[in-house]
Amino acid sequence: MLKKGDLFIFGFVIILIAVSFFGVSLYKNSGKNTNKIAVIIKDNQEIQRIEIDAVNEPMEIMISGEYNDIILVEKGRIRFKEADCPDKVCVNTGWLTEKGDMAVCLPNKTMIKIEGQSSDVDIVTY
Amino acid sequence: MTKKFSIIILCLALCMGVLLSSCRLNSSNLYETHEFLMGTVIIQKIYHKDADKIAKEVNDRIAGIESAMTINKSGGEINLLNDAAGKEYVKLGEDTLYVLNKAKQYGEISNGAFDVTIGPLVKSWGVFTDNPKVPSKSEIDELLKLVNYKDINIDFENSTAMLSKKGQIVDLGGIAKGFAGDAAIEIYKKYGVESALISLGGNILTLGGKPDGTPWSVGIRNPRGADGSYIGIVSVKDKAVVSSGDYERFFEKDGVRYHHILDPKTGYPANTGLIGTTIVSDYSIDADALSTTVFVLGLEEGMKLVESLEGVEAVFITEDKKIYVTDGLKDTFTFKDESKEFEYVEKR
Repeated sequence: MLKKGDLFIFGFVIILIAVSFFGVSLYKNSGKNTNKIAVIIKDNQEIQRIEIDAVNEPMEIMISGEYNDIILVEKGRIRFKEADCPDKVCVNTGWLTEKGDMAVCLPNKTMIKIEGQSSDVDIVTY
Repeated sequence: MTKKFSIIILCLALCMGVLLSSCRLNSSNLYETHEFLMGTVIIQKIYHKDADKIAKEVNDRIAGIESAMTINKSGGEINLLNDAAGKEYVKLGEDTLYVLNKAKQYGEISNGAFDVTIGPLVKSWGVFTDNPKVPSKSEIDELLKLVNYKDINIDFENSTAMLSKKGQIVDLGGIAKGFAGDAAIEIYKKYGVESALISLGGNILTLGGKPDGTPWSVGIRNPRGADGSYIGIVSVKDKAVVSSGDYERFFEKDGVRYHHILDPKTGYPANTGLIGTTIVSDYSIDADALSTTVFVLGLEEGMKLVESLEGVEAVFITEDKKIYVTDGLKDTFTFKDESKEFEYVEKR
């Protein structure tokens, strides 16, 4: 038969298990939508990394090449603001705000990506 | 006493188990690269300790395929084939011969709805240039005479091929990326990668599932939404998911929207009431060719073709914003449309 002390140990261990589950899930989700890092890539080279949550004043980044792009960064978001390429796909993509968001200017071989995984889909087919 | 101890030890082991299992997931971290190749972005997501080396080998392989098969840059085998059209057989590498033969097969399967000899018309429309134009009706009719997949002659014994008529141009734009995707998966397998994903300009290939064993979630682009927006999700393992749509490249002239998928029968952009098609299959070379094929065929004929092929499933999006999927995909497709503009038609 279990004594009172046994029950105590038993309960303690169950709490321990619960806490470890909780702790692990907390740890895993800790990076979910904080510390968003936007990476700008031009011609397969990373040219800039910006912690967009830490941006207080809006700023513009000029990208020159075959075409010219203007990237706009505000607190927590980033986008292609202007581009003189013919299709303007990059500008039409609009603001990037979540991890995994991406905008690409193919003619100018430039892309912006917020590092990390989107929580809904792993990738989009187009 | 021993009983008590064993219970405690069991419980502690359970705790350790929780911690260890969560560590195991992180033991081989996600490695992600982006590379501009084949006129698009190649995204690789690989879980493997040598992921950086593997990703580089894949990018090099894709660059090799691009230079052999492109007609947008000088050099390369397909350019040699096109230059010798109507004149002589030219020597081709194993990859190019394989893709050319597959392309011809899809010409046959689709009765010409998929035809890589569409090159002269692609050039005339200039869809992939900065200055696309609408060619005159007489020019289109003239160029249509050069479009016929049956004019691709392949001599496997001597590894050569020839186009029958002078002026014919093969454009592998509708199938080469599919081949490159399959080549990438081969490299992953060679290194024993168990979990990886590659996107070649929206042509998706998945190897295995995610590291935790669950399937990959592949969003299907909303044809009228922004880049990255989607109308539904397919959950897949070891599958290729490839889409075609009128949103990929298009231009407007006198209020008319012209997209890049030309109908080899008419010489004009395919106009069958579809705005997006997605194929799910084992190999991306098939998915790539078929997504274009069914886009040109339209909903009814496209659905019929897909249902007749083993292991191939499809999603169709019509211009009146209705979504249809093949029966085999009903369990893996989840309708999720944030724009609230589309309707999922489960029963036809």
